[in-house]
Amino acid sequence: MAARFPVITGLGIIAATGCGVDEVWNALRAGKSGLKPLTLFQSLRYGQIPTGEIQRDLIALGAPSHGSRSDQLGWLAAREAMAATKINFSECADRAGIVLGCSVGGSFDSERFLITLIKHGKMRARPTRFHECASVVDLIANEFELFGPSMTVTTACSSSALAIAAAAEMIMVGEADVMLAGGADSLSRMTWGGFHSLLLVDAAGCRPFDANRAGTSLGEGAAILILESEEFAKRRGAKILARLTGWGASCDAHHTTAPHPEGEGAVAAMQSALRRAGLEPSAINYINAHGTGTRDNDLVEAKALKTVFGNHVPPFSSTKHFFGHALAASGAIEAVVCVEALRHQEIPPNPGFLAPDPAIGLEPITTFQRASLMHVMSNSFGFGGNNAVLIFSARETIPLTRAPDPGTMAITGLGVVGPGAIGEREIEPPLPSGNILVHSCGTPSDTALLTPNQRRRFGRLVQMALLAARRSHAHDPAQRLAVAIGTGLGCLDDAGTFLENLISKNEREPMPARFPNSVHNAPAAQIAIDQDARAMNSAPTMGEISFESALWQGMRQLEIGEADCALVGAVDELNKFPLAIGKRWGLWDEKTIPGEGAMVASLTRTEDSTTPLAHVTAVRLGRCRKPFDAEREADWIAAAADLKKVEVILSGAKGWPALDENYSAVAAALSARAGRTLEHQTYKQRCGEFHSASGFGFSVAVNLAREKKCGVLLYTLSPRGAKAICCVQP
Amino acid sequence: MQISPEEIKVKIIQSLNLQDITPAQIDNGAPLFGAGGLELDSIDALELVVMLEKEYDIVIKDIEEGRPAFKSVNTLAAFIAAKRSP
Repeated sequence: MAARFPVITGLGIIAATGCGVDEVWNALRAGKSGLKPLTLFQSLRYGQIPTGEIQRDLIALGAPSHGSRSDQLGWLAAREAMAATKINFSECADRAGIVLGCSVGGSFDSERFLITLIKHGKMRARPTRFHECASVVDLIANEFELFGPSMTVTTACSSSALAIAAAAEMIMVGEADVMLAGGADSLSRMTWGGFHSLLLVDAAGCRPFDANRAGTSLGEGAAILILESEEFAKRRGAKILARLTGWGASCDAHHTTAPHPEGEGAVAAMQSALRRAGLEPSAINYINAHGTGTRDNDLVEAKALKTVFGNHVPPFSSTKHFFGHALAASGAIEAVVCVEALRHQEIPPNPGFLAPDPAIGLEPITTFQRASLMHVMSNSFGFGGNNAVLIFSARETIPLTRAPDPGTMAITGLGVVGPGAIGEREIEPPLPSGNILVHSCGTPSDTALLTPNQRRRFGRLVQMALLAARRSHAHDPAQRLAVAIGTGLGCLDDAGTFLENLISKNEREPMPARFPNSVHNAPAAQIAIDQDARAMNSAPTMGEISFESALWQGMRQLEIGEADCALVGAVDELNKFPLAIGKRWGLWDEKTIPGEGAMVASLTRTEDSTTPLAHVTAVRLGRCRKPFDAEREADWIAAAADLKKVEVILSGAKGWPALDENYSAVAAALSARAGRTLEHQTYKQRCGEFHSASGFGFSVAVNLAREKKCGVLLYTLSPRGAKAICCVQP
Repeated sequence: MQISPEEIKVKIIQSLNLQDITPAQIDNGAPLFGAGGLELDSIDALELVVMLEKEYDIVIKDIEEGRPAFKSVNTLAAFIAAKRSP
């Protein structure tokens, strides 16, 4: 069946060039770069080099005083986009959701905790409350009362492009009418020190595609688009700004930081987006390039453009010199640029470019100019070889696409590292000393199977994920493999060690090998390299439903036919910082013991599997209203899963009385609806408490479904509002 | 000032966390990067940059500057010696 692409009806943006869509577009029109000497924090070693810092008082602009800097930026962009679109959200809140890309999260604020701890020996845990990358989505969804699906995508520099793609899929499969989609990331000492340690920052300000380019300029910001189904937009008489007509994702499966030398992954993502849009390359009128200004990125992107477009590369420009590289927000910022380009029929230039590079052999647009634009493309490429490409089209276009066909998927393999054994763990300095009872996975038995490079370079988080993936999946070169690995807190050991070192040594002797591992998509990216997985690669995070978010993304890739097999999973590791902070906050006791572990499941379409372990028949993401209403929850679950085929409800109860009571109330409400008692089981007593523990719960569900030959409903609630179900059948 | 290849090899192993490799197994003239030697990559090159700063007070700001020096243990020893000569 033919389906219409989502339309865009509102935009919001805050970046170094300005606050608000008009201010930003006017800055681009005037050729006014937002790069200024850094003032947000002191960098003794690298000084005040040009940076895309937002030098405005965010609170004075109206941002909430609670929340990290990233959260505040995201909130400001959301407010503008929601005001512009004139939707009455209270009337459609259950069908309104949010997907944002975020990779720095609350790091800038958490760094204050580390500085106080390292330099003054005092533990002030308050600034870490909003550390998680998912915090910005929780804040916006809760403040603006969005109860549809919510997710955060954290694939470094391609995060928000992939988030916009995921939001579009949510509309296409009919799980939402309207979505907030975009990204938010603030500057931080972490990314500042990290990019400098990789020698990827141009002290003169970035010069994308220039012969003398010497690195990028870091930036910060947030941008949010309102995506709607066309039907919904028309019904309420909304003004349509543009359409999102193509999205494609791929993975280089090549190297942690270096792009594939021929740009194979970038080519695949552009071609996938064109395929989705049903467009020939010649239909593209403008490309907003990733164009970071690093030597390798720009060279490889130019090669990829020539491969896709031949001798007719469309006019292109990188706008990174305007904004700085806002990392996870950059894809969303550039999406706003593309929509504005279509709306105004104008192309922004590529400041910083002076001298053509013969090795690149292409020259970007250098002056702001009028153009006739129907379809424009936006490229985003990230660490881990993670590529995402979006295509926006003028509002007059009505290309159609195949409607996605959500169906049952076969689970063909399951790999689990965990549950960890219970033991005492001593908290290391500089944190206050003490012992905490934990479920620790220790050193997995098959670590020796990893390559020497995997053993020397990666911490336990990536190693656990690699081993779980290997246990779940036998490599088949004929299969196009997608990977989605959820994580709540990511590589804490690598991120923490990198930052401790950076702060205690005042930026001297950085740890370049640690930094690229600190991104949340390191496990997914390393699995891709290990398994040669070149289809979509994602690392969603959303607190307790991080695993279900990964499952959701993997299933969509199989449905739309962009992958033959999807490795979906989740991983989190124990780390001294959340252990000590949780202890301070009273989170841990004999009923709630922190844990860790990894789970990866291998999925294929049902027709492609001969001997599946079990099947996934439904996965649904959403958010709870306050106060919690068990009947309303039961309605939501019954609409998504066939209760006639469910015998067991497997919940994420974790020893928190209020949360656990909610689970029990919903189980009772579902039993009443089913007309028989559904068994309520839990799994966290076995694996311990960690954000992505529902991945382990999924493996329990698969085993229960097989043993009892019955349907199992995995039900997960996050204390911050997100919820998910997934249904496993024999 | 001369730098012994043995000293450099120990520091390479330490700074890159090379597993199951002893200094004796590293050929002084063999390529550190690419095929036929330790098969190090661009992230290892950055770790070597940090090692040079930490151990020998040599600061490299552009990786291209380090590239000729990182060819082998011998070239690295010569580079350090040259940088440290007054």
